[in-house]
Order: sequence, then C-alpha cells, then structure tokens
Amino acid sequence: MTYYPLLFLAGFAGSFHCIGMCGGFACALGPDGRGAGATSLRHVLYNTGRLSTYCFLGALAGALGQVICTSLIPGAQRQAPLLSASLDVGQRALAVTAGLLMIIMALRFFGIQGWHRVTGGFGSSTLVLSLRSLLGRRGFAAPLALGVLNGFLPCPLVYAMIAQAASTFNALSGCLTMAAFGLGTFPAMLAMGGIGRLLAPSWRQRGVRLAGSFILALGLVTLSRGIMPMMGHNMHHLWPAA
Amino acid sequence: MTSSPDTLCRHCLLRVGRRGFTRSVNGEDCQFCCYGCCIAYQVKSGSGDASEAAWFLVRLGAGSFLSMNIMLFSLLVYSGAFTGADRQVLPTIHLLLWALATPAVLILGEPFLRETWSQARRGRLTSSALIVLGSLAAYVYSTLAVFHFGGHLYFDTASMVLMLFTLGRYLEAAGRARASRDLAPLLAAESELATVVEGVHEHRRPVREVCAGMLVRVRPGERIPVDGLIVEGRSHTDEAVITGESRQVAKAVGAAVLAGSINLDGPLLIRSSGSGGDTRWAQICRSVREALKQSSRTQRIADRLVGAFVPIVLALAALTLIYWAQRQPLDQAMLTALAVLVVACPCAVGLAAPMAHSLGIGQLARHGCLVRSPGALEALASTRLIAFDKTGTLTLGRPRLVDLAIDGVGEEEVLARAAGLERHSEHGLAHAVAMAASARGLDPIVAEDVQVVPGRGLLGVVQGEFIAAGSAALMSELGWQLPPVLAERAAEMASTGHSIVFIGWRENARAGRVRAALSFDDTPLPEAAAIIEALRNLGLRVALLSGDHAGAATRVAATVGVDEWQAGLLPESKRAALDLYRVRYGTIAMVGDGLNDGPGLAFADVGIAVGSATDLARETADLVLPKDGLWLLPWVVGRARAVRSTILANLAWAFGYNLIALTCAVLGLLQPILAAAVMAGSSLLVVLNSLRLERLPGPSYTRALPSSAAEQAQRRDLALLKVES
Repeated sequence: MTYYPLLFLAGFAGSFHCIGMCGGFACALGPDGRGAGATSLRHVLYNTGRLSTYCFLGALAGALGQVICTSLIPGAQRQAPLLSASLDVGQRALAVTAGLLMIIMALRFFGIQGWHRVTGGFGSSTLVLSLRSLLGRRGFAAPLALGVLNGFLPCPLVYAMIAQAASTFNALSGCLTMAAFGLGTFPAMLAMGGIGRLLAPSWRQRGVRLAGSFILALGLVTLSRGIMPMMGHNMHHLWPAA
Repeated sequence: MTSSPDTLCRHCLLRVGRRGFTRSVNGEDCQFCCYGCCIAYQVKSGSGDASEAAWFLVRLGAGSFLSMNIMLFSLLVYSGAFTGADRQVLPTIHLLLWALATPAVLILGEPFLRETWSQARRGRLTSSALIVLGSLAAYVYSTLAVFHFGGHLYFDTASMVLMLFTLGRYLEAAGRARASRDLAPLLAAESELATVVEGVHEHRRPVREVCAGMLVRVRPGERIPVDGLIVEGRSHTDEAVITGESRQVAKAVGAAVLAGSINLDGPLLIRSSGSGGDTRWAQICRSVREALKQSSRTQRIADRLVGAFVPIVLALAALTLIYWAQRQPLDQAMLTALAVLVVACPCAVGLAAPMAHSLGIGQLARHGCLVRSPGALEALASTRLIAFDKTGTLTLGRPRLVDLAIDGVGEEEVLARAAGLERHSEHGLAHAVAMAASARGLDPIVAEDVQVVPGRGLLGVVQGEFIAAGSAALMSELGWQLPPVLAERAAEMASTGHSIVFIGWRENARAGRVRAALSFDDTPLPEAAAIIEALRNLGLRVALLSGDHAGAATRVAATVGVDEWQAGLLPESKRAALDLYRVRYGTIAMVGDGLNDGPGLAFADVGIAVGSATDLARETADLVLPKDGLWLLPWVVGRARAVRSTILANLAWAFGYNLIALTCAVLGLLQPILAAAVMAGSSLLVVLNSLRLERLPGPSYTRALPSSAAEQAQRRDLALLKVES
C-alpha cells in the first residue's frame, strides 16, 4: 500500500501552498501565554479541527462515489472492484471526472488560470475576515472551531483531494485519503506555528510547483484508471478500492 | 426578545417580521429577522475584541466539529467498516456517538429551540418547530436505543439536520446581505458620520447634527454628507444617487455639491448650506426605509400560506408515522415522518419576494428613482398603459420663440424693446424673449417703471414712450388697436398650439397700437420620442391626457409618437379617461411632474412623478424619478418586470420543490439528512436566483443635455426666421 504515503507526500508538498493562505492563521494563532504546552495544544487542536473537516469531506465524497456506483449498476457492489480486473461503467465515469478535476486544479498551481469561479466561493472572503476574530480568543474551543471552519475554505488542493477521495468509491478509503493528505500538511503547519513566520516566497513557489506535480500525477493516474481498463488490473495492489 | 415587525433587520435590511428578535451585539441592541442573519452579522462585524461575534463562530465551529465526527463514524458504520472481527467495538462506537451528539444537539439546536419557544408562547408555530421536533425525535430515539433496546442510531440525522439548517440560514443571510449592499449607502444618511472642522480640530459627528455654515472635510472615496459649496480643493463627484446619472462631474472651489454624491478623487472642504437632516439624500433615505417596511400583496399571500403550512405538515408527519408504523419497524417509520417534517420547512417561500424587492428598490434608488412600496414595483411590472398627465411632462418646460409677426416696425426693434421690458419678469416667456434677443446679438433697450399685470402681461416705459407686452385681452383693455394683418397671423399661430404675446407701444405721444405678435412653443424633450418608442417596445401603450388646448397636445403627441391623446381635459374628465383605460387595459400608470397633478397620480394604479420639487415625505406618487429623469422610465419598467418575474419564479420553485420533496418524503423515498440538504439547497437556489437581478445592466445614459439642446433648437429656429424674413 504505497497509496497513502503518496498522498501524505502530496499533502506535505502541498502544505507549502497552504502556508500562503492558512499559514497566516497558524502564525496568528501564535503562542499561548501559559507556556509551551498550551501553545502546542492550541496548534494541535487547530490542526485537528482542520483534519476532521478533511476526513469528513473525504468520507462524504467516498460514500457519494459508492452511492453513485451502486445506483448506476445495482449488481456491482463492493466485491466487484476488488475482484474483477476492470472497473464498471459508473466507477470509470467517476474516475474520469475526478481525474479531470484534479488535472484542472493542478494546472492552476502552474499558474494556468481558467475556470477559477469554482474556487472563488460564495461569501468566502467574509468568512476569512471573520475567522480572524477567533484568533485572539482564549480557551481551547476557539482554535478547534477555527480549524474546522478553515477546513471549509475554498482551496484547489483540497478540492483535488476530494475528487480523489470520491474516486475511491468507499467512505473509509475516502476518509483515509483525506486523512493522509491532511496529516501530510501537519508538519509544515505545526512548524509555522512554532517558527511563527512565513517561509521565503521562492521556497513557497517551489513547494507549490511540487504540489502541482503531485496532483497532476495523481490526476493522470486516476484518469487513466477510468479510461484504460488494464490499469486497474496492474495497479490494484497500489490503489485500495481498485 | 421581540421587536416591532416593521423595523428592518440589522444584517439584511429586510423587514424583521414576526419571527424577529433582538440580540445585543457589541453592547448595542440589534434587530434581526432570523438566526442566520444574527450569525452572519456577528461574523461580519466581528473585530478582534468582539467576543460575542467570536462566540458565535466558536459555536458554529464546535457544532460542526461534533456533527462531522458523528457523520464520519456513522458513515463508517453504514459502509460496513465494523463488521466481522471488528464487531465488538460497535457498542463503544455507539457510546462515542452519543457523547458527541449530546453537545452537538445542544449547541446547534439551542437557537431553534429558543425561537420555537418564544413563538409558541405567543401561540404561533413556526418552521423552526419542525426542525426542533425532527431532530429531538431522532436524538431521543437514538439515546434510548443506545441505553435500552439497541438497534439503529440516528444521531447523525439529529445533528446533521441541525447543522445543515444552520448552514442554510447562514448562507441565506449572507445572500440577503449581499442583495442589500445597494441599499446600505442610501440608508447611511441616518447613521453616517461627517468630519466637521472647527478651527484646528476635526470631530466626527452624526450627519443630522451638522448645521448650515459648518465646514466639513470629505476625503476621496467618501460620500459627501451634506449639501454645500466647495471652499477648498477640487475633485470629481458622482451624483448618481440624486440625479440617476452615474458619471463624473468636475467640481472646483465655489461649486455646489450634493449630499449623497461620492467624492471621487480629491480632498474637499465644504461649507454646509443647510442642516444635515434636510438634504435630499436624507429624504431619500427615509423614503427607502419606509418602502422596505411595506410588504406587497404577493408577499402577504406567501406569508399566510407559510403560516398555514406548519400545522398541516405536523398533521401530515403524524399520519405518515401512523401509516408506516403499521408496515415497517418503528424506527423506519419515524425516519420517514422525520423526513416529512424536515423537508417541509418553507424557508425558501418566505424568502422569495422580500429579497427580490430589496434588490429592486435598492438598485432603483441608487439611480435616484424612489419606490414607495414593493407593491408599486409589482404593479408597475403588470402595467399595460402609461398615461402622461400633461404636455409639460414631455416637454422641456422652457418655451422658445418660434415665430414673429410684425406690422410696420423692424423685427430687431421689437425684440430689443421686448427684451428690455421682459427683463423685469420671471416668466418663462420672458426668458425666451431674452434668449432670442441675445441670439441675434441685440442689446435690450432699457425699460423703466415696469409693472406686472398678473395673468395679462407687462407694462413699462421705453425711451419715454409707454410700452406693453401681453395677451390680446391686455391690449384691448388698453384700448390699443390690433391691425387685421397681425390678428390673422396670430390666429394662425394659435391654431398650431403656440402661445402668443402681443407687443405694442405709443409713438410720438399718439395713441398706442399693437405692433407685433410673438409666438412661443415649448420644445418636446429631445429624448421624448426615444423614450416613448422604448416604452412601446416594452409592449406598453402610451397615452397623453392633457389639460392644454388641443393644438399644443396634438403637436406634442405627433412629435413624440404616443398612441392616443386627449386634450383640454379637466381633472374630473382625466379621472373618467383613466377609468376607461383601466377597464380596457387593466393596471395603468400615470406620469406627471408631481407638482399640481397629485390627484391624478394618486388615482392611477402607479403614480410616477418626474423631478418632484416637493418634499418627498409628502409626495403622493408611488415612484419618483429624479429631475430630468424621464429617460430612466423604460429602464425602471424593465427592472420592475425583472423583479416580478424573479419573485414568481422563486415562488413557483419554492412551492413546487417543497411539494415534490414532500411527496417523496411521505412515500418514504427521502432520507432526513438528504431532506435537510435539499431544503438548504432550495433556499440557496432562491437566493442565487434573486441575486441574478444584480447582474442586469444599469440604465445607459442616452440623454442629450437639455439646456444645450434647447439653445441649439432656438438658434436653429431663429436662423430660419431670419432667412424667411
């Protein structure tokens, strides 16, 4: 199972992108006056909140994928993808959609804009501004809430991963996909909280490119799973539900 | 906790209505129309120190955290992650779910419970009662299942329904606030602060406390808070709120600026010319606020339907429960009944009309067009005939000299004498004479001892000789003879609807006689024909009901191209004509200048006043266009129609959606969580559909400048006169 470590790496590379948007939150969450322990707890809570949103979205996407597949072809239930060499029509359609979505998102990381309405969410700027009101708050519920809501902020990286989660056709795999990705973002984000300042722009740029490459590769593989039946056969040791 | 239903919600500027409540935010009592607005407002206004705002977000975030985890575990349970060898962890998972669900239901459900309770005490059932009942039923059943009889758990249903509705309300509120963005600057006149300069100090003061003579500093990008003159600085301003034209007007020292216009690019120091509360901007603000407090008939019907809906849904849910309980296990039946409760929540219906109204009223007001009530907007949309109340509405109201008949004297002498005499008059015709004289480069001959004979004309002395200008009646009173040549020409002129002024004087102490007849005409608005054409392209019939004599009305009617006209009408006969039109065309609108045609405007279904000079508070018209703003009328009609069709589409959508979803739920085809998502989606769709109104284009400025157009017309006519003579 090299699949989840791969996603972890994608998350890790992608976290250089996160630093741009969410790193600001992590920095501003800052140290706690009550000592290093409390500071760490704040940041762990914040990141746990974020992770739980990701896991939730992943499980939801996976379950949705499962529902779509089983409703399209009622007979082809859980055992089908694992046993048969090829995927059924519904799964393939979903894989193609997810793959394309991921490729589009990946291209955005290389500066190719297009279809940017998707990520410019409805009223998200209001939410970003208001989230800042949570930063200075004492107690441990606020960082958690901040993390949870932060997880919902529009982010191409997260969208790409949700597409990936949906193409696993399973709630648990979807959840784990997002969990692996989310954990991948932990080191950088926790470090941000500790260091308390942003990384140099050139490094962030490199990180963003790297993240883009990962997503692009994942997208291409997902797409090919949909298009080429043979791929599923060769790679089912790698992919959990395929 | 309660507030008057007529106040406006602090967040979305819609009427608070019966569901409204008061919450204190940052130490200030604010009225909100729903819980969603309350959250959204607190989120929006949240600064670092506003702990209450943050508390709301914490509540939302923590609630989401809990319910997402519940959902996550439930999904894993459903998808069979804990089967086989992992089966023994199931009871632990159930306990965990219960431990997560209890605070989630408390945190997310509290506002709904509170609303239900406060309404129930007043004997009313609202849609939040449905949500509370649904989620509590799921929670209580699942809790009993955990500790007593086992079986399926529905904690995910309980918490997700609450979370989705909270989310739905938040999104709704955010959408409504966006819709009212246009309104905010208009309503700001009441709360805006002005920077008053006193010596070396500058104070921020509420606009209404600014008095005449005070110095006010306005930075670039700010709204000018008071009417006044520029003392220092130069800039461009945008006066769209007052004049309806969004364009840059250059302003320098000494220029007058209007309250409500935006200072675009330079700092200005302004000396206030009046009290801050008396500006037209402040009047507009009051008028808009009044309009928003009204509700239209469509909205009232929708509200009443929603009111009747809740008890019906409760009964339906009970019947569903009873029916399915006989055929299925109790928990399945309960789930079906729960879906019925949740899916019937008629949030979108209540939202269908007010949001579109507020968008429409806001956009019109931003272009200087004021609507009295949302009902007027809807009536205008269904109007099929627009009647112009008087010829003057379609003309510039600035007469000009079009013809000159002489008898034994020179034209230039007549004009020079007349101009000298008319200089002492404020009458519109006097201005026309002066314009004509100066267009020919004539210096007025100085007149002395000028006196005005009201309704007749002017008397005076020029070069020691007695001179008179006025009607035929004045001339015959003076006993001055009217030569047959002039009488004939004058009759000719009058027959084409022109106003006639005779001029006569004494010469060498002999008896005076009439020496010339001047013919005046009021020019139709240069854009009148285009406006009428645009209205007819909208499928409207255009009529002219004039009190003037037939000649004038006929000529204006022919020039601008109205469908039908009636002239010489007394106010009573106008009413009769309108009655006739109403029978034939249904809803009718009437356009007037708002000065002395109040009864006519009030009698029509939609009274439209152009450039009303009266106090807006006493204005009887339903719609007030800015001065020289007739060109906006087709755009306004288009807007009103867009608003109406949006409302109808919203209502059709909301009711249709609810009915279909309700049917599915009763038949047991809809999961409660899905039902909640469907309802949140329905609200969101209504919001987005209404927001489409934002994307319609504003009025395109096509009007030629009236003053220059009039002057050009005058010059052209005089040039013709010269050639002819």
